[in-house]
Amino acid sequence: MNALPLARGRAGGAGLVVLAALAAAVITLAVVAVTGKAPASQAQQVQQIAAGLHCPICKDLSVADSPATLAQQMRQQIAQEVSAGESPDQIRAGFVAAYGDSVLMSPPRRGLAGTAYFLPALVLLAGLIAAGALLRRWLRTPRADPAAADSGPPLSAAQRRAVARAVARLREEEPG
Amino acid sequence: MTARVTGRITRRRATLLATVAAGVAVVVALLATGLGRDPSAVASPLVGRMAPNFTLPQLDGQPVTLSKLRGQVVVINFWASWCTECQTEQAALNQTWQQFQDSGVVVLGVNFEDSTGAARDYVRSDSVTYPVVEDAASHTALSYGLRGVPETFVVSRSGRIVSHVIGPVDTTALSNEISAMLPGSQ
Amino acid sequence: MSQLGTYLLLFGLAVAGFGLVTAAVGAKTGRPGLVETARRVAFGLLAIVAAANVTMLVALLTNDFALRYVAENSARETPVFFKALSLWAADDGSLLLWNLVLAGYLAAVAIRFRRDDRPPTFPYALGVLYAVQAFYLVLINGPARPFASLASPPADGRGPAPLLQNHPLMAVHPPFLYLGFIGFTVPFAFGIASLLAGQGSDQWVSLIRRWTLVVWCFLTIGLLLGALWSYSVLGWGGYWAWDPVENVALLPWLMSTAFLHSVMLQERRGMARLWNIALVIGAFALMTFGTFLTRGNVLSSVHAFAQTSVGPAYLGFLALVLLTGFGLVAWRLPTLRSPATLTSAVSREGAFVANNMLLLAATGIILLGTVFPLIVEAVTGQQITVGGPYFRSSITPVFLLILLLAGTAPLLPWRATSRARALRRLRIPAAVAAAVMIATAAAGVTSVYAVAGFGLAALVLVTNGQELVSGISVGRHGGRGGAIRALLRSRRRHAGLVVHIGLALVAAGITASSTLGQQSQVTLKTGQAAVFGGQVLRYQGLRTDQQPQRIVLTATVSVTDPGGVPAGTLAPRMNLYPAATEPIGTPSIHRGAVWDLYASVISLQNDGSSATFRFYRNPGVNWLWAGGLVMALGGIAAAWPPRRRRDGQGRDRGARVPSPRAEAKAGAR
Repeated sequence: MNALPLARGRAGGAGLVVLAALAAAVITLAVVAVTGKAPASQAQQVQQIAAGLHCPICKDLSVADSPATLAQQMRQQIAQEVSAGESPDQIRAGFVAAYGDSVLMSPPRRGLAGTAYFLPALVLLAGLIAAGALLRRWLRTPRADPAAADSGPPLSAAQRRAVARAVARLREEEPG
Repeated sequence: MTARVTGRITRRRATLLATVAAGVAVVVALLATGLGRDPSAVASPLVGRMAPNFTLPQLDGQPVTLSKLRGQVVVINFWASWCTECQTEQAALNQTWQQFQDSGVVVLGVNFEDSTGAARDYVRSDSVTYPVVEDAASHTALSYGLRGVPETFVVSRSGRIVSHVIGPVDTTALSNEISAMLPGSQ
Repeated sequence: MSQLGTYLLLFGLAVAGFGLVTAAVGAKTGRPGLVETARRVAFGLLAIVAAANVTMLVALLTNDFALRYVAENSARETPVFFKALSLWAADDGSLLLWNLVLAGYLAAVAIRFRRDDRPPTFPYALGVLYAVQAFYLVLINGPARPFASLASPPADGRGPAPLLQNHPLMAVHPPFLYLGFIGFTVPFAFGIASLLAGQGSDQWVSLIRRWTLVVWCFLTIGLLLGALWSYSVLGWGGYWAWDPVENVALLPWLMSTAFLHSVMLQERRGMARLWNIALVIGAFALMTFGTFLTRGNVLSSVHAFAQTSVGPAYLGFLALVLLTGFGLVAWRLPTLRSPATLTSAVSREGAFVANNMLLLAATGIILLGTVFPLIVEAVTGQQITVGGPYFRSSITPVFLLILLLAGTAPLLPWRATSRARALRRLRIPAAVAAAVMIATAAAGVTSVYAVAGFGLAALVLVTNGQELVSGISVGRHGGRGGAIRALLRSRRRHAGLVVHIGLALVAAGITASSTLGQQSQVTLKTGQAAVFGGQVLRYQGLRTDQQPQRIVLTATVSVTDPGGVPAGTLAPRMNLYPAATEPIGTPSIHRGAVWDLYASVISLQNDGSSATFRFYRNPGVNWLWAGGLVMALGGIAAAWPPRRRRDGQGRDRGARVPSPRAEAKAGAR
């Protein structure tokens, strides 16, 4: 209803360009995602573990970010444990044994606390369902067209667009 | 509007209003549980568990190993010379030591994030007579889940942590607790 | 001073109560005299609350330590600038500022509707505003009393918290934030009013859109200043720590952004009426919830005010707001007919639905994550932390989708009338975005989120920039000449495009600083140097400054570029305040167009002959500030009232209307 055949041809060309760009983007992202990263050095491992621990005497900061002395000493202890060959899980478990679960920056994965990891997906899903339902309702509502009964010759697409644009511009500049 | 439509609207309104009221009640009840608690007070997971072992050097003397003190009640007190609250509880700790040192109780001070010189000055000026050790790299403090000073752990004769106090200790409470753990009181 | 302040506040409460009753009766009976009285009372209320604030200010500046608040938050040695700022340093004092801003907004509403062009909902809205003001005045007269006096005043005060007297940003961050938060009371009041009065809300929405936009601008600036504070003052190298109070400040911003988009659905198509009211109520409810969380001492936070007993009061108010607001929405819902129709989901209407869905999903995720520790502890007693890593990983996909939308939706037409054109307009932005992604990946960036973030930021930038350019050129072809005139002709649309461009800059800044930063911790002796990021950083030594309220230790570090070119000095500081057990660090920052060199001194050894530093290389942080500023300026431009033409006699000829020829030309493209 919208485009003339000539315009559709041009739109088809535009569609190809956009599709190609999309494909290139997706492929690039896939390549980056799959590309093996260099194995982390010991210092990087310490940093990663420290970033996952909450500095017990700070508000919000991780052990990696905090300038507090206790956080520094925790980093030193983590470094010793890493060079002693302990796994990240063991190191974290050691701190949890002393400080409790709240020393982890993120909730533990088991129990009620672990449900936190499902929440974002659930919220997004709920939003998608609600938005979908709303759009379907709007799409289904039949268009009441009382003006069609006694109007003159129908406007062309371009004329309709011009009218719509003029009305829109008018509305933009009205007060309030 | 017909009566049927009105009735339907009233029913729908009642359902919606009930839902809103229920939702608000749940939210408010949840948030109310947060009131009255101190959000920065975290319960220690160590109470009831075996006290982590350590070997630390005294300020002037032999190293002390916790496991070698098995069979005695041990009061582990983490402190620092720069900590003002530690000074307020010093009298209580000294008194506890005086009272119980011959009854199989050890009061052990663990110096936290401090310098040896400052620690020695403090010990001298505050008449600390019980053994004091230094935890230079804070390994022991970390294994005890320390968040600040002063913190005190009471370890039973079997080596289990029975209580954890954040902040200055109270003389009466401490001596009651120790007395309850000594032989002859059961 | 204490008595004066207390009586002023009591009087203010009485006046607010009078205003509330007058407005309510005026609304119910429809008597214009009552409504006019209620309107005029607003100015009196503003005067009284302002006087109370001035009283506290005078007490602070004259060191009146008989007042408990002055004794706890000011001291003789505090510099005059920070003494004045102590007005909002702590909970009860900042409530004085809160009441002042609220009274200011009340008076602004009273001025705005001083003539007879008032909507019929005006008396109801006035009543709601007075009711909210009454609550905050009850608080300040009851649980949180800033003018409480001490039986035996001390010789000197304790001084403000060291962090709050360390940096001039303290002057602007709270006021802008308050202007942003409290401003949501006005749209809320009109929303409730329209539900109470049962009035058609199309009139309401054009009224409220501009108010909400202005408030949104204030909140944007307030959040930006908060991030700037975190970066420039706290010294940990970052600008957003996902602190509970930071999170709840973001929630009304997200919800009002959703409103500012869906309001266009109502203006253009008459759709989503009740939804818009619900959004406005939601924004206010989130703001009230945020206040409860900040001041009720429920979660541990950097912003935690001193413990007071106001928690239950805020919770009660929150319950009232939720019940009234959503109860009224529930009441009106069954009687609403939806005239909305849609020809296709791939249209501007569909895009706004997607926009709202994503923004509300983001709100929900952040809200749930923030209160999750509370929920878990209430149910199982387990204490957990939900920190940065969780929020970052859960919110990044949603924000990337929002960017995708911002980079494509401006091309979509209303009613899906010319989608082919939209596809044509998407060619260049899509190609640029793909090219940016490929270039980023080729440059060695290993994070998928980083590559996607840069690509989508480029998409948003090019799409909105392209539309802006074409909007200007179309306007110029209409024969009116001048790019500025063309810009202003479709001011709202162009301002919206500018806001999106600002968003693209912010997104690029966040992506760069989150994924490409470097940091290093070194201990240097005087004269020793370290190599960081290609530059040589040498510790020069420690300088001690004795100031009346603190001792400042400055550790100077010289910076040398590769090739031996000196590049200035960094001077991170440690400030020793008598009241604080630990020193407060101040970082030193060399800001650059692409990246910042950032230094913090962590600790000193051996009287300063050795110092431990943290050096950071933070890329893109300045894009964040610039982009945020662009967003706020775009918002102001969108909110600016249009010029009205006046003829020779000065009569108002109404707003300018563009010529039909220009529209036809625009339609032919």
